[in-house]
Amino acid sequence: MSATIIRLGGVLAVAAAIVFWWQTRAVEPPAWTEAEIVVLRSLFLGSLPPLPPDPSNAVADDPRASRLGERLFLDPRLSANGGISCATCHQPVRHFTDGLAKGQAIGTSKRNTPSIVGTAYSAWLYWDGRRDSQWSQALSPLEDPNEQGTNRMHILRVIAGDEFYRQQYEALFGPLPDVEDTVRFPNVTGPGLGPDWDAAWSPMTEGDQASINAAFANVGKAIAAFERTLAPAATRFDEYVSAVANGDLQAQETLFNDDEIWGLRLFIGEAQCTQCHNGPLLTNNEFHNTGVINSPGELPDKGRAAGVREVLADPFNCLGVHSDDPLRQCAELTFVRTGPELIGAVRTPSLRNVENTAPYMHKGQVATLAEALLHYNKAPDAMIGHNEAKPLSLNTRELHQLEAFLKTLSALVDEHQFESM
Amino acid sequence: MNIERAAIRLFVICILSALLPQTAGAHGGVVEEEDLCIIKVNYLRAHFKVYQPRVSGHEQFCEDLPVASESVFVMEYQHDALRSMPIDFRIIRDVTGKGRFARMEDIEEIDDLDSVTVFYQAALTEPDVFSVVHEFVEEGDFIGIVSATQPGTSKVYAAVFPFEVGFTGIGYWPFFIAVLLLLQLHYLVMSGRLRRWMGGRSSGIVTGLSLCILTFASADRVFADDDTFLVTYTAPAGAPEINRIHSWILHVESADGVPVENAKIEVSGGMPEHDHGLPTHPRITEELGDGDYRLDGIRFHMRGYWEITVTVITEQGSSVVVIPLQL
Repeated sequence: MSATIIRLGGVLAVAAAIVFWWQTRAVEPPAWTEAEIVVLRSLFLGSLPPLPPDPSNAVADDPRASRLGERLFLDPRLSANGGISCATCHQPVRHFTDGLAKGQAIGTSKRNTPSIVGTAYSAWLYWDGRRDSQWSQALSPLEDPNEQGTNRMHILRVIAGDEFYRQQYEALFGPLPDVEDTVRFPNVTGPGLGPDWDAAWSPMTEGDQASINAAFANVGKAIAAFERTLAPAATRFDEYVSAVANGDLQAQETLFNDDEIWGLRLFIGEAQCTQCHNGPLLTNNEFHNTGVINSPGELPDKGRAAGVREVLADPFNCLGVHSDDPLRQCAELTFVRTGPELIGAVRTPSLRNVENTAPYMHKGQVATLAEALLHYNKAPDAMIGHNEAKPLSLNTRELHQLEAFLKTLSALVDEHQFESM
Repeated sequence: MNIERAAIRLFVICILSALLPQTAGAHGGVVEEEDLCIIKVNYLRAHFKVYQPRVSGHEQFCEDLPVASESVFVMEYQHDALRSMPIDFRIIRDVTGKGRFARMEDIEEIDDLDSVTVFYQAALTEPDVFSVVHEFVEEGDFIGIVSATQPGTSKVYAAVFPFEVGFTGIGYWPFFIAVLLLLQLHYLVMSGRLRRWMGGRSSGIVTGLSLCILTFASADRVFADDDTFLVTYTAPAGAPEINRIHSWILHVESADGVPVENAKIEVSGGMPEHDHGLPTHPRITEELGDGDYRLDGIRFHMRGYWEITVTVITEQGSSVVVIPLQL
């Protein structure tokens, strides 16, 4: 009797071992087909086209403007409390993000701090695309009460009071308005929004208002000239694609393990990631509603539906008087898409360095990559608008493989690239 | 018809009628049940949905909310005029005493509206979608009031919707007790003990009836009706569950109470507010006799207001019965 039990137990143990082996056995991924290699190449950093010109910014590619812009980017004097710079949230060592759900500056920012790297390739800035150039975007945090909390007059005073800034500014853009005359140009502390600012601004002559706005726009153009230089660095993924394209099997084996290869196959295939995360920056820079839950205590984000109205009304947009392009080539703004399908839609972020830019989503609602993948696997109904994504039905192992692949998209940070971090 | 069958029949009919308020009637008998997930601000319509994202994630509720928690109310406009109208949104504790039947007139009678207000969003024009968020700190009965002002005039359109936060009903215990009693009765009848114990025909019927009355004295007899037929339904496992395919039993009677047999019955349904139908195509799979029909393959994939349309076709003609259902 006991012998029978032992024999039965043995058979069951062997059966369980076989099942376990079958489920967890390493399956070697098949070789990439020609068509798949074409897709891989399209995601490869080597396929990134040269920087698109920004005709709205005459100093966009001027190295002097870029040097001035970098100093301004890192300067905490451009804030109401003297302690916040652009780099407070866009930290160079963190791929120009901050590791927080929402930016923390003078107050708490409305959304998650996105990276700046590669944004010169995007027609739209911010999660909701409420700005249409790097330079018009750079102006906005300076006057946001929760971010740098200052105003354009204060910014120009900092520039006028700093010999390097003044000299560099005037070499690029001509003379600064005489902001030291506090009768013509009243001194206002606090953000460029609200009654104090309005009371100081409205008595100014139209000519003075225009010259202040133009000089303020120039500050943005210098910062943008710096931001344009922030290009993504090659990753293990790019090396792998290079090895695949060259048929170098040995390099392929050293660079990617089977899980990472399976993850990449899912990424370009069944998981449908490349519907939005496509091109060498792994983003289409377009707006999509993917049914992300609201941030605790907040209304669901209206996203692009509100952002598109804001960019059309922005005096610093491509069609505005501060654009340097006499031809006003503003196809994106002219043919911009509006309508209810933009409700709750936000801009697709790049997946380069995704492992190091947690938390995720527009309000930092999702803490980990695994959680983000679960969200897309489930594709729940959107709270407002419609979720464009469809459930993926990937199993745990496939989700793990996708995550393994996403971690190959990390690039090293050159810590010596920036002078004062 | 012998005594056992008569007693069981009485009991089954009793359960059929008593179960209905456990399901459709759980909402409390709101007259305008059909408008639950559509908010009608006068002639202006909007999809209405509520989320409790911290406790139920992306699950949608129509108006009643399971717990006191952060609640996001969303109105997706069906009528474009709402895009340009200032809309204000107020939630008050229900002090009208009218419950489900509270109307604007009852709200107007409240002397100090502010003292009973738990949430107020001042008038706001929202061109895309209107939403408000409120964290309920206690369970109870509340009334939502939405007012939209016609721009350029002082015309105000309002919608009033009473709702409940936290489940305060008695649950499904009566149903389980009924099932146990039915099984016990079945055993007694089949084993012949009941007859021996009662010792007579007439007292059998009386006992069946009195058992029925004892168990379900408080139950309302609620059914969807039509001039020609009464259709009573029951979901055998209690209230219709979300995302589980299950069966119903439909009982069809003529207006004068005669069971309708050999009818052809077609069933369809959907959520009128969401413009979508049932996720399945349920069918009658068996006629059980005495006007009872087994409906298989029914499934609901969303909470909210559903309508199940039952078409009864007999030699005399066809007739449509709509069963309103709040899940």
